[in-house]
Amino acid sequence: MNVELTELTRRFGRTQAVTGVTLEAGPGVFGLLGPNGAGKTSLLRMMATVLPPTSGTLRLLGRDPGGYGPRREIRRRLGYLPQNLGYYPGFTVVDFVEYFALLKDMPPGQVPGAVATAIEQVGLGDRARAKLRTLSGGMLRRVGIAQAIVNQPELLLLDEPTAGLDPEQRVAFRTLLREFGQRATVIVSTHLVEDVAAACSEVTLMDAGRMVFHGTPDELIARGQGHGIGDAPLERGYSAVLAAARS
Amino acid sequence: MDDDALIAAVARREDTALRELFSRHAPWLAARLRGVLPAAEVEDVLQETFLAVWRGAAGYRPEGSAGGWLWGIARRQAALWLRRRGPAELLLPALLAADGRHPGDPAQAALSRAELARAVSALGPEGGPARETWRLMYVEDRSVAEVAALMGVPAGTVKSRAHRARRLMRAALRQHDPAREGGGR
Amino acid sequence: MIGDDDRFGGYQDTGPAPGDVDLDRVWLGVAAQVWRREPGPAERAAGRLLHSPGLARALVTTPSLLLGWVIATVVILLAGVGFTLGTGTPWVALLAPAVAAAGIAYAYGPGIDPAWELSQSMAVSDRMVLLVRALAVFGLNAALGLAASAASGAAAEVTFGWLVPMTAVCALALAAATVTRSPNVGVAAGSAGWVIAILASQAAEGRFTAAITDSFFVLPYLAFAVCCGAVVWYATRIPRGTS
Repeated sequence: MNVELTELTRRFGRTQAVTGVTLEAGPGVFGLLGPNGAGKTSLLRMMATVLPPTSGTLRLLGRDPGGYGPRREIRRRLGYLPQNLGYYPGFTVVDFVEYFALLKDMPPGQVPGAVATAIEQVGLGDRARAKLRTLSGGMLRRVGIAQAIVNQPELLLLDEPTAGLDPEQRVAFRTLLREFGQRATVIVSTHLVEDVAAACSEVTLMDAGRMVFHGTPDELIARGQGHGIGDAPLERGYSAVLAAARS
Repeated sequence: MDDDALIAAVARREDTALRELFSRHAPWLAARLRGVLPAAEVEDVLQETFLAVWRGAAGYRPEGSAGGWLWGIARRQAALWLRRRGPAELLLPALLAADGRHPGDPAQAALSRAELARAVSALGPEGGPARETWRLMYVEDRSVAEVAALMGVPAGTVKSRAHRARRLMRAALRQHDPAREGGGR
Repeated sequence: MIGDDDRFGGYQDTGPAPGDVDLDRVWLGVAAQVWRREPGPAERAAGRLLHSPGLARALVTTPSLLLGWVIATVVILLAGVGFTLGTGTPWVALLAPAVAAAGIAYAYGPGIDPAWELSQSMAVSDRMVLLVRALAVFGLNAALGLAASAASGAAAEVTFGWLVPMTAVCALALAAATVTRSPNVGVAAGSAGWVIAILASQAAEGRFTAAITDSFFVLPYLAFAVCCGAVVWYATRIPRGTS
């Protein structure tokens, strides 16, 4: 098990961003769905060791991120793409990916090969030495994905990774996810339901900080039979579950 | 962009041009090298070839053909690899032969080793002028000037010895050519 | 990725790549060497000193250690030297703390680093980066300031005297920057604090260089610096998220 969450809670002042989430995940691709404000980002931040939980237990890659040493070990094997990632305009794609590879304590000898692999995997091989300020939004997102995967992480956390990507790039991205999902735990937070359907073996749906559904995409589709608003089966399941949770 | 323009761009340190050059030429270069080297070595030699292209693109003269220039680099890299590995004396003539004709499959290259050993011995005793010239020029892939300096003879002498060595090798290889043996008795 | 290209002609008549040769892997080997960045001598030395290539890279990319910033600092201090030689007032000693405070506030943090949240998830912790960068900026400014102060012919007690208030002012700027997550607030707080200290000491003792030379202030300055340091430590320990 790479991720073990038990009754995880996070509070900001009087707002409960995440309430009592219990989750286990081994290798595979897991989707995290939910409307804005559902707590997906806070949950991902806790798993990225950027935000400490208010209560509950969290074990990542078999370690407790509360201690400095284990947290550092987790971070070496972690890949994280935040929802809002800025860039250093004067850096090139290679500079940016290499910078974070070094900050993840990758041995310097392995860095050039890992950087080249990551850049080609996200399809930016023809822009490797272009300055980041010359890239479009979708390309910058792919640079962000590249830095997340450069260290071949065992735990890959992606918050809205497909923002700005065109359909062809999304297909390539899902292939990448499936590849990683064979060895690592990949958790993708998105509000694009079809992204989830194509790549994820399990889906978690959150609303107002709570987990309201956990199961396979087919099970989510089943929940939408005969109920729900939406054009696609998965969307109908999504809205059916949300309606039930809110009533 | 045509090949000449691409190589000029590589000389200007444009890595995107190198990438395009690679996608155009690596497949056939790999096929040619595969005729004389095992797959894993082809990958290493091909990598060294394109790194040499990256470093040496400024030396390309557009009058020649880009393909010829690239193959020349690949040949040199393969020779360097063979020199480091050892049994070069047997495999290098196969590399020479690959210049002119389609690469056979690797099994044929291996089969040829015995024939090549016989052909090499046709050059005379080890240390003799023809064999030594052949070894320095084709096994160690040195230039005429280098060989002349090493052997202490004029360049013209080196060239005529090399010509004689090639003639002897060709004759020896033709004698053992299976196609010929099958047909013309 | 790179696929077979079927444009052949002339030399290229030997068909597509053999099936057991992985051309993608070959290209990655080439790209790794062609794209690689070689660290400069400063970065290599820093890497050995800090036992961390990542920390060294973070250090050499510090915004307030970049050439433009350093040149601006030198220009300001040279102006200070000029004024000092002209008017006899130790302007360098008065300016240097504020300049250093600005450099420190801009060294690192949420307001200045566009990839701030990502940096917080790194194995090389952002707190280590902050510490190393702040010390480097402080050291550089101290060295430049000492040189400028000596060049302007100031007395020894003034030359070295302002290192203590400079420490306090920098600590204040850093504390304000990390608590409010804004380098601009840090600069403002540091500069304002320093101006207040100067004016207050002038009001109390009639000359505004008292803030630097009066040894009565040494312990209070250092205690203040330590408190600000504790604030920085606390502010960087709890990563705060917005909901």
